[in-house]
Amino acid sequence: MNTKNQMWCVWSGIAFAVFFTLGFWPITHFMPPPSPTMTAAEVASMYAANTNQIRFGLLIMMGASGLILPFTVAIAAQMKRMEGSPSILTYLQLTSGALGVLFFIVPCVLWSVAAFRPERAPELIQLMNDAGWMLFLMPFTTFIVQNFSIGIAILGDENAQPIFPRWLGFFNFWVAVLFIPGGLLTFFKTGPFAWNGLLAFYVPFVIFFTWYIVMFVFLRKGVIAQSARSA
Amino acid sequence: MAAVQPEEHIPGEVGVWVFILGDMVVFALLFGVFVFYRAADVSLFASAQLSLNQSLGALNTLLLLTSSWFVVHGVEAVRAHRAQLARGLLAAAFGCGLGFMVVKYFEYGEKLRAGHTITSNDFFMYYYLLTGIHLLHVTIGMGVLAYLWRRLHNTADMQGQLSAVESGASFWHMVDILWILLFALVYLMR
Amino acid sequence: MRQLLFHRATAVWLLLVGATGLSWEFGHGLGFGSDFRLATVAVIVIAFIKLRAVYVEFMELRHAPAALRWCFEGWSLIVGASLLMLYWSGS
Repeated sequence: MNTKNQMWCVWSGIAFAVFFTLGFWPITHFMPPPSPTMTAAEVASMYAANTNQIRFGLLIMMGASGLILPFTVAIAAQMKRMEGSPSILTYLQLTSGALGVLFFIVPCVLWSVAAFRPERAPELIQLMNDAGWMLFLMPFTTFIVQNFSIGIAILGDENAQPIFPRWLGFFNFWVAVLFIPGGLLTFFKTGPFAWNGLLAFYVPFVIFFTWYIVMFVFLRKGVIAQSARSA
Repeated sequence: MAAVQPEEHIPGEVGVWVFILGDMVVFALLFGVFVFYRAADVSLFASAQLSLNQSLGALNTLLLLTSSWFVVHGVEAVRAHRAQLARGLLAAAFGCGLGFMVVKYFEYGEKLRAGHTITSNDFFMYYYLLTGIHLLHVTIGMGVLAYLWRRLHNTADMQGQLSAVESGASFWHMVDILWILLFALVYLMR
Repeated sequence: MRQLLFHRATAVWLLLVGATGLSWEFGHGLGFGSDFRLATVAVIVIAFIKLRAVYVEFMELRHAPAALRWCFEGWSLIVGASLLMLYWSGS
């Protein structure tokens, strides 16, 4: 059994986190996020001031997002060991994880549209900026399905030596719950549920990357145990 | 009447406590945010709060406290291997949860008819969000109670059911704990 | 039935219902002289006494390992102190 490819997939999760954050934070300066209360003129001047830097940062973020796919597959490979056949939860995780990638790629393209012609009407730039942020933070849908399928699979693991510890299943449920406030940003331009607020942005953002690191640690352990068993 | 208990005992399985404590941290954050923003605009929060119906809030507190009482006895009944009694008690707790939802339905209706919506002002934003997220937990908790009720159909292995029942019971008590604090902060704080 | 009613949990339940009534009164004008803020402090303190009763008695943390119980006690202390401080700073 070749676990080498699998290990590459596991590490790609870390690569995603590093490159995406690099693009998001120091290059595009999307941290802290631009306020939803900014006027059209302010948004336009933001894109006009650092046009090429923003374009470059978005390009990196978009490219890094592809690395979510191998990580999702690595989770699926370990889930299949828990679940056996039929692998309903494994497929559910795979499809929801794969769909979730779009909520990283498409916002990057929408922001890039805003940065493509910074001289166009400010209202149109604001529209693209709004669309990008809302598509980035609002759709908790696929992530909840993904986290729940992982959690349920972990709790249903009947191997004599469980692949993952059971608490990791509950951790996944908890993460799923924390993505929900993001959906509320559609109502607010200020406060904790706005797209630059504590509960719609900072908490999900930190939790998302914490989840990556925690899942990475246990996936790595899982793959090592798997290769030891097959050797 | 309970089965012999060891000196130290974690109710349910350890993983459930990861979720419960994690959830309590999230609610602590939500409550902190509420009181923080309230401190910035006390007069608005205080005047908007006057249109809340505290009696309905208190009624819901009593419903949840009573449901917790049923759940405590439900766990005891499982320990005593009395499946039918345990199922009855869990069903009663479920009924209290249903009552909580009905009260909330009328409460929300009353607010909406009076023109208070989630975008009316900051107070009502927090009112709807905090009670709404809590209501989501009540719904999940009722799902858990229903699941346990179904599981206890299998009366052959009561000891094997105990861990799941204790886990679910602990979650239900957490829903109660969060409401106690929510009621004090949103309905009663002056 | 008697076994169900004459039980430690029933005493705790009665206590919790009584405390709910008391905090309801504090929310409706019962207070310490003219300073209504003290009534709110009482409401918050009663709330924490109530929820502590729920986790110690109903959640059975009385019998749980100290580490788990201290997670809850710590949560209560930190959250309670922070909420009181935030409340006081705004009034």
